[in-house]
Amino acid sequence: MADANDASGSADKHVQVKLVLLGEAAVGKSSVVMRFVNNEFQANKEPTIGAAFLTQKCRLEDRVLRYEIWDTAGQERFHSLAPMYYRNAQAAVVVYDVTKAASLEKAKSWVKELQRQANPNIVIALAGNKVDLVTPAPAAETSFAESEDEPDDATATPGEISASAGSHGPESLRQVPKDEAQAYATEAGLLFFETSAKTGEGVVEIFTEIAKKIPIEYILSSTRGAAGRNGAGGARGTAAGGDVNLDGAGKKAGDACNC
Amino acid sequence: MSTTSAISQLRAHKEASKDELIRHFFSLPNESADVKAITLLGFDSMEINAVLTLQDQEDSFAGRLYLFPQYLCFASLDRKSVKFTVPLYTIRRVERLKSRAGIFALSLVVWHGMSIIVQLTSLRHTADLFCNQLREALKVQLQLGRMKTLKVFVKTLYSEVIIPPSSTQADKEREDGSLIKLEDGGDDNATASTEEYLGGLGLTFKFPGDAKKLREASKVKLWAEYFRSHGRHLTLLRYPKCTRLVQVGLPNRLRGELWETLSGSIYLRFANPGLYVRILKENEGKSTMSTEEIEKDLNRSLPEYSAYQSEKGIDTLRRVLTAYSWKNPEVGYCQAMNILVAAILIYMSEEQAFWLLEVLCDRLVPGYYSPSMYGTLLDQRVFEALVQRCLPIIHDHFQEVDVQLSVASLPWFLSLFINSMPMIFAFRVVDCFFAMGPKVLFQVGLAILKINGEKLLQIQDDGGFIHLMREYFASLGDSAHPYSNDPRVRAITNFQELLLISFREFSIITDELIASERRRFRSQIISEIEAFSKRAAVRNLKTMGRFTKDRTGLIYDVLFKAVCDAPQPSLEHESLDANGRPETRIGLQTFKVFLSNVATWARDETIVSNGFQERYDRRVADHDLINRLFYFWDTQDRGTLTFQDLVTGLDGVMFNDLMANIEWFFTLHDKDKDGSITKDEVLQLSESLLFIFRYEIGDGYLASVGRFLTNAFEFGDALLPHGDDEKVPEVAPNQPYLTLATFRMVVLADEVLESFFETDFSASFKLEPIPDDQPATGGFLGDLISNIVTEDSKNIFNKLADGIGKTMGKHKVNYRPSIGKTVPLQEPKMRESIVSPSMRKASSSSNVSQLSASTSTTALGDSASLSPELSTLSLNPAVTSPAYSFPLVQAVTAAIMERTTFAIDEAKDEEGEEDEEDVDLEDGLLEEVDAFLEAHDSGLTGAEAEAAKDLLHAPPMK
Repeated sequence: MADANDASGSADKHVQVKLVLLGEAAVGKSSVVMRFVNNEFQANKEPTIGAAFLTQKCRLEDRVLRYEIWDTAGQERFHSLAPMYYRNAQAAVVVYDVTKAASLEKAKSWVKELQRQANPNIVIALAGNKVDLVTPAPAAETSFAESEDEPDDATATPGEISASAGSHGPESLRQVPKDEAQAYATEAGLLFFETSAKTGEGVVEIFTEIAKKIPIEYILSSTRGAAGRNGAGGARGTAAGGDVNLDGAGKKAGDACNC
Repeated sequence: MSTTSAISQLRAHKEASKDELIRHFFSLPNESADVKAITLLGFDSMEINAVLTLQDQEDSFAGRLYLFPQYLCFASLDRKSVKFTVPLYTIRRVERLKSRAGIFALSLVVWHGMSIIVQLTSLRHTADLFCNQLREALKVQLQLGRMKTLKVFVKTLYSEVIIPPSSTQADKEREDGSLIKLEDGGDDNATASTEEYLGGLGLTFKFPGDAKKLREASKVKLWAEYFRSHGRHLTLLRYPKCTRLVQVGLPNRLRGELWETLSGSIYLRFANPGLYVRILKENEGKSTMSTEEIEKDLNRSLPEYSAYQSEKGIDTLRRVLTAYSWKNPEVGYCQAMNILVAAILIYMSEEQAFWLLEVLCDRLVPGYYSPSMYGTLLDQRVFEALVQRCLPIIHDHFQEVDVQLSVASLPWFLSLFINSMPMIFAFRVVDCFFAMGPKVLFQVGLAILKINGEKLLQIQDDGGFIHLMREYFASLGDSAHPYSNDPRVRAITNFQELLLISFREFSIITDELIASERRRFRSQIISEIEAFSKRAAVRNLKTMGRFTKDRTGLIYDVLFKAVCDAPQPSLEHESLDANGRPETRIGLQTFKVFLSNVATWARDETIVSNGFQERYDRRVADHDLINRLFYFWDTQDRGTLTFQDLVTGLDGVMFNDLMANIEWFFTLHDKDKDGSITKDEVLQLSESLLFIFRYEIGDGYLASVGRFLTNAFEFGDALLPHGDDEKVPEVAPNQPYLTLATFRMVVLADEVLESFFETDFSASFKLEPIPDDQPATGGFLGDLISNIVTEDSKNIFNKLADGIGKTMGKHKVNYRPSIGKTVPLQEPKMRESIVSPSMRKASSSSNVSQLSASTSTTALGDSASLSPELSTLSLNPAVTSPAYSFPLVQAVTAAIMERTTFAIDEAKDEEGEEDEEDVDLEDGLLEEVDAFLEAHDSGLTGAEAEAAKDLLHAPPMK
């Protein structure tokens, strides 16, 4: 895993992007992240307390983005802690479960909250996860994909396992029609993907599309001035117009009330 | 986010009393656990100066001896060196020692023969009293049969296995036969008892870490020695050596037992045999939101430990977590508890873990896992404040680069470091935590930051902070001084250094400091949580109707206040909404409180003046109309209302114009929603109107309701299908009687009602900002004031003032009108369309009351002659339809029928007018007075008053 030295040393090449994952419990947030980060993933399936923190690089044309991913706990009572994680975030992935209509409602309320409380320039993507449960099966599911998926199973919900085990009439499991979610995403100005952490479908695409949409030039221009500063510096730049120091402290006092 | 009712309970928080603090200090269960003994004994506690000496030990310690109904406790004067908690049921013999004159000493022999000698150094008669109390308390224990259970209980403990029986016996040479016999059971088959003792999954699945490296054997030996001289489990005396042994790490096999001993959960387990199994049995197969959430997390609780890769381990974990969620449904299940319980189950049996979890959630880290997690948030704030105080440079740097401490430290606290450090080290922190209390978390946290100070000053963002901490935790087993020439220094690990710095450099972090810091920030945290959940609640509304966001916020405030004030908050349902989110639903009782703060007519408000003060006393009104409204707004027939229901409901009435209001009111009373109301419903409707008008001054409203009834019946009857005879046919109970159109006509015929529906009714719903009644700002003074100036004393003051006022003849109580509007008393303009002949006849009259009186009389007379049934209905409710009685209608009818005199009416009306002007004036004045009183009334601010109110419901202080 890249360490602090690495990050500051190559700050001019790497653009650091803070990304937060939100969504109802058991929609597969952690699985999506693990799918994305898999290459750097050490064999620990960290239980999420507050939030798990992971990083992954993402190549985009000539530039490398370094995602700092905060994978938050989905349990309702942790909701009041979420502002701590999404403050200063440049991107958010709000995950719901295509087999659970209520999870989209929760996702919508997260989107609302982000749009009102988070960084105003935040790029939000909506991910309808567990789409493997509703796609008619599976020549596509190669043995490679399955074996690679093993580590995920420990954190997957029992529902996911059992449901996928007996995938009879998969479409019937679907509770959120794709076009409905798509329509909502368009209306709310979100990126939208249906994903499967299990098969990997759509996962990398989300992060790539986010990367494209993030105002990288802006982050760079605001961080370049202060050499070695990255990530949070950039975020503050976007929010407070590049003035980094005392302004940040003042802003923080206000932010802290969110949690 | 959590539900309103959960958050409202935060306000009810009370600081622990002095007595509770002492109980906490000695790790005693709450007083409620002692109720039986207390009632039998008639005292709560007693303390006395004493000097403690232990048989075969040289040191003596001066301190205080405390007698609780079930425990004898001692703490040395510095409250650090020595303390013990000995349950009375372990004491087998108490002897007064014969010694030099003037010395009053007792020898207490516990069940395994250890003898504790205490010299009572207080005055002689205090000592005598203490002895008497002790004797009584011991008798009660015998009575309760606690001493018998001890024998079975001790077999569950590993320390009984490791104490060589011979030496135990040797210790007991002087003991009586019964004691030795008790030990014999264990002697005969030591192997049998080995199998009986309780242990954790580690016994089967191996304990983490290398036993040899951890020097298990020598640790066990040291503890065995200590147990022999200083007692064990229930009777463990805590001498300085005990703390040192804890700090070097507990041996695996003794860990569970020592955790429950040091934390005091062992007393709970002793007092509640079989409860754990019973809870599981009683709730078998039940499914709650907690059980579902638990299920999701079972596979991600220390997944790397082999036990949790097996069914057995998972089942064990599931049972403890679910049992606790049933034991304490308010906490239920919170992520992080899974990790905690998974960890302690390695060393403890299910039942031991269950009780330890109870002590943890209840006493050690209260509020950490509650639905609002306020304890977690609070301790994070406290930690931040301590960092600011102890490590200002790091704190300033974090501020400067905008790094939030909590992103790393929150999981430390929430999982007691189990999720952050390698397990073997985390367990050593946990050892200290159970032995020394929650301050350990802060001490270790500060030490981590201090050790990494240099590097922390280099970090630029949250991510860097997390990375640094991860690296540090991964290196805890490494040498802290790898380049030292001295091999002994090289052998010191980072972890050892961490503990050293924690306890040496941060010894200033005491329990008292933590407690006072928690007090300092509590109200701030609570209001932040309240504000957060308010924002979320408003944001999550599907529709705000025509309300602005601010006004919706006001509705939330009133709802929140109602939930706080409601007499039985336990009646509130926390159910899941359509999206599976917990939501607050209020029942009828809370709704009444809510409505009383919104609608002027839904409260009985009196203006009390007694010559000293004038104040408003507000009480929640009770009437069928309010119930009706509740069910009217309960569109899903759930018997409860959500915030959304209330917003939509209010939206449906507060923005109405005349016609909409008439229709709304009509629909409210149209139970079957068929577009017409029955005769009974007409009466109910007029009842509702009378209820709304009950405190209006003058007779205008009364009269108009009378007119309304007359007209309604006249039209209703007229519209009934008539037979050949003149008689009005009988009206069946369900028969549609009055349509909306007719109702509208009848209402519009009357100017008073018209004006009521046009503006007054909507205006009677008022959304006013709730005075800011945050809980008392804490601090010594805040607490003091809220203790002294309670709602009780305020009431007493009010009563006193009233009493004096009465003797001076200045005491007056007036009801405050709900509408408070001058009733227009000019001659009403007649609407040709609906005027009945009898009314037209009377229309020449210049007085409205006269008019109404005459019409009523005629109308009622008519209907009486036409329909005997109706007349009995309105005049004699006792014999009519059993479902309803209409005392108010009766009263009105009676009142109107009695009044005929024109002149008096007129005079009265003028008077009334003056009255009303006066009232208006008075009203304004009163509001000022009221505002003044609110600001200055006994020096109570809103916050203090709120806190004071809380105290009102508090149980009496012991």
